[in-house]
Amino acid sequence: MALQRKLTLPNDINAVSQLNEFIDMLCEELGIDMPTNMALNLALEEAVVNVMSYAYPEGTKGEVGVEAAADDDRIVFVITDSGKPFDPTKKDEVDTTLPLEERSIGGLGIHLIRQIMDEVKYQRRENQNILTLSKTIKS
Amino acid sequence: MTINIQEQNGGFVAILSGRLDTPAAVKAQQDMVPLMENADKEITLDCTGLEYISSSGLRLFLALRKETTVKGGKVIIKNINDEIKKVFMMTGFFNLFEIV
Repeated sequence: MALQRKLTLPNDINAVSQLNEFIDMLCEELGIDMPTNMALNLALEEAVVNVMSYAYPEGTKGEVGVEAAADDDRIVFVITDSGKPFDPTKKDEVDTTLPLEERSIGGLGIHLIRQIMDEVKYQRRENQNILTLSKTIKS
Repeated sequence: MTINIQEQNGGFVAILSGRLDTPAAVKAQQDMVPLMENADKEITLDCTGLEYISSSGLRLFLALRKETTVKGGKVIIKNINDEIKKVFMMTGFFNLFEIV
């Protein structure tokens, strides 16, 4: 089954619930199992919240686009914004084996995205940040 | 998302239920202030009703854990569901907390 959906959100973290609904509906239509549904929710929340928090200067309005495309064995999300250039894939990998004293509070979001998705790709094109996340699915 | 805090046997038990996503974590940070203030004691996070957690929620857990190290208390995490277990596995949180 081929499917395409699009969602546009304001840069307001309270809009995260709309993203969750969007992912849940998509997963239901595609017959994706609950664990994968929840993992996709998490990866997308992390990616979108990142944009909402850092792409636009504080106090200014901006948008985050989420486009989903799925076929029989793969789901691809393209997250776009017109904020300042930011490549989350350039962030240092979190070392999850470090003891408590050395663990930093940040950096877990991109780490979770990398763990959940099979491919994470960043491009800067026409003044837009374009983050592509894809994952193989069984439906 | 609700956090219900009770004093029990000289320690604290926080019963978490619902979805601890990014917006919920902003509020939860306020709700968890009494726990941070009592980080010299044993704090149990009862996660029986916790359905989901994202990195903002994980950060709150980690901040509390760090505070107990400074003040001499401890954090016990109880009854996390299978999906949250996976998130703990992916982030190495199993090594940082006492999980029962």
